[in-house]
Amino acid sequence: MGLEKVDLTKVKPYGDTLNDGMVQMSFTLPVSADEEAKEAARRLAMKMGLEEPSVVSMKDMGPGFSFFVVYGRCAASIDYTSIEVPKVDVETMSKKEVETFIEENIKRDITIIGACTGSDAHTVGIDAIMNMKGFDGHYGLERYNGIEAVNMGSQVPNEELVAKAIELKADGILVSQVVTQKDVHIPNLTELIELLEAEGLREKIVVVCGGPRINHELAKELGYDAGFGTGSYAEDVASFVVDEIVKRKLV
Amino acid sequence: MSFVDLIYGKHQIISVVGMGKNAGKTVVLNKIIEEAYDRYISLGLTSIGRDGEREDLVTKTDKPVIHVMEGTIVATAQDILLNSDARLEILEVTNYRTTLGPVVICRVRENGLVELAGPGNNDEIREVAKKMLIYGADIVVVDGAINRKTSASPGVTEATILATGAVVNRSMDRVIEETAYQIELFGLEAVKEQTLRDFAQEVITEGCVGIVDQGGEYRKLPLKTALSAGRIIGSALTENSRYLIFSGSLVKKTVDELIAVTPYYKDVKFVVQDGTKIFIPREDWMRFKKRGLRIETLEPLHVLAVSINPYAPQGYEFPPLEFLRKMKNALGLPVMDVMLEGDDFHDELYG
Repeated sequence: MGLEKVDLTKVKPYGDTLNDGMVQMSFTLPVSADEEAKEAARRLAMKMGLEEPSVVSMKDMGPGFSFFVVYGRCAASIDYTSIEVPKVDVETMSKKEVETFIEENIKRDITIIGACTGSDAHTVGIDAIMNMKGFDGHYGLERYNGIEAVNMGSQVPNEELVAKAIELKADGILVSQVVTQKDVHIPNLTELIELLEAEGLREKIVVVCGGPRINHELAKELGYDAGFGTGSYAEDVASFVVDEIVKRKLV
Repeated sequence: MSFVDLIYGKHQIISVVGMGKNAGKTVVLNKIIEEAYDRYISLGLTSIGRDGEREDLVTKTDKPVIHVMEGTIVATAQDILLNSDARLEILEVTNYRTTLGPVVICRVRENGLVELAGPGNNDEIREVAKKMLIYGADIVVVDGAINRKTSASPGVTEATILATGAVVNRSMDRVIEETAYQIELFGLEAVKEQTLRDFAQEVITEGCVGIVDQGGEYRKLPLKTALSAGRIIGSALTENSRYLIFSGSLVKKTVDELIAVTPYYKDVKFVVQDGTKIFIPREDWMRFKKRGLRIETLEPLHVLAVSINPYAPQGYEFPPLEFLRKMKNALGLPVMDVMLEGDDFHDELYG
C-alpha cells in the first residue's frame, strides 16, 4: 500500500485512515450519570460539529456530575499552508556557542533568575531549563560557563522575584507558568511586568516567560520579550537572552 | 458628551487601560477614532500589547477590528504591518524592538483595517507617542493590554480612560467596587508642599527610600528597593517621622512588614510617584486604611472617563442600564457604555 498524499490545504484529524477525521474528546457535565446524561453528551458533541458521535465511556463523578469520553468524526478541515505562527526570532546556539558568545560579546558573567510564580508549584518547566542536569540531553543553565543561574523554585511571589532581581542585579528573568486554570497565569504574568515598570527596571532586564500555554505572540500582549512553549530547551532560552542583552545594549 | 470632547484641547497623549481582558479597550479606541473623524482631528495610534487581530490570543473570542481613516498615524510592529489592509506610508522604522519585529511609524494613505502592536515598555511608548505628535497627530492614543495599567502613569501619558466590565467579576457590585478602588488609587491626592515635592523627586530619581521627620529633617535610607524591606523601613521610622517616600512600587507585603514592626506609621504619610505604583489588593487596602495608613502621590493621574462593558466572554452579562447607573453613582466620573447605541438618550437619562 502506497502512502496517500496529504492535501495540506485540507488537513483533518487522522484516526485509522487518512482524512477519516476521527476525534476523541472528554468532558464533564454537571448532571448525574444516567441514560439522559449520555444522550446529552452525544447531542452536545453533535452541536460541536462532530458527525456520528458515540459516547464510548461514561463515569459517575459523584452526585450531580458525570464524565464522558466521546468519539466522533470531525467534518472541519484546516488550511495548513496558510498558517504562520510568530516564533522567537533568534538562531539557537549550542551551549558551547552561548558560552563563547558571552565571553566575546558581553565580557562578563550574566545572572539569570528563574521561578514559578504565583500559586504555581509545577517546577518541571523551569527545572528543565535551569537545573544542572537539564532535560532530554540538554544541559540546564546552571551548567553554563558565564551564566549565574538562580532557580527560586515554586510559588514565588512576584515581589520576591523582583526583590531578588534587584539584589543580584539580574540580566534576565525566566518565569514559568504551568497552571492555567481560569487563565490565572495571565494576571500573574502581567503583574510581574507592572512591578518591574514601577521599579524602573523593565527596560534593563530581559524578561521571558514559558509554559505549555505560552507562545511568542502572547508574550507581546503580556509585555514580555519572548515566550517559549513546549519543546524549548535551555539553549533556546539562553541564545535569546544573550542575544537580546547585546541587541538592547545591556552589556 | 464624547471621549474626544474630554480629550481635545486638554491632552495630547492619552492611554486606554483595562481592568482585565475583554473589558472593552479596543471598543473605546474605535469610538475615539469615529469621533475624531467627525471633527477632522488627526490621531496617532499605538498599543502596548496587540490590537485589531480578529481572534483573542487567550480566550479565542472574536475581537473588534480597528478601522483607521486616511491621515491617521500608526505605530505598529513590522511583522503585522502586512496584516493591515489600509494603505500605509512608512514614515520611520524605529529602533524599538518587539516580539513581532521593530516598531514602524506609518501614515494611513487610504482607509482600512490595521493591527496595532507598539513598543512593550513605558519608556519606548513615551518616545513613540512624541514622535507621532511630531508627524502631525493632534491626539495620540496608547491602547493598553489585558490588565496592564502602568501606561497610565503620568510619566507616560497625560490622561487615561479606564475600561472595566463584567469580565472582572461575576458580581456586579464587586465589579463596581474593584473599579472604584482603581479610581481611588489613580486619584490619590498629590503632595502639595514644594520642598517636600523636591525631596520626593530626588528620592525617586535616586531610586531609594526617603523619610521626612518633623522639623524638616530629611533622611535617605540606602535601599535599592522597598520590596522585601518593610521591616528595615519600619524600624527607621521614629515618633517624629511624618513622610515616607517610596521610589518604586508599594506592595502589600512591604506594608504588612512595616506595620508589624512600628506603631509610628499612623502619623506618617506614605508617598509614591503615582497610583500605578501601588500593588495592594482591595481587601488589604481596606484593612490598611482602617489601621490608619494614608498614601499620597507626587503626580496625580488624570482619569477622563470610565467605559463599561456589561458582557463577559465567560458567558454572563449584567443589565446594561442598571450597571451604567450604579457605576456612575459610585464613581462620580463620566461613565459610558460603549456597547449601547444612541448616546444622546443616555446622556439625557444619566448625563
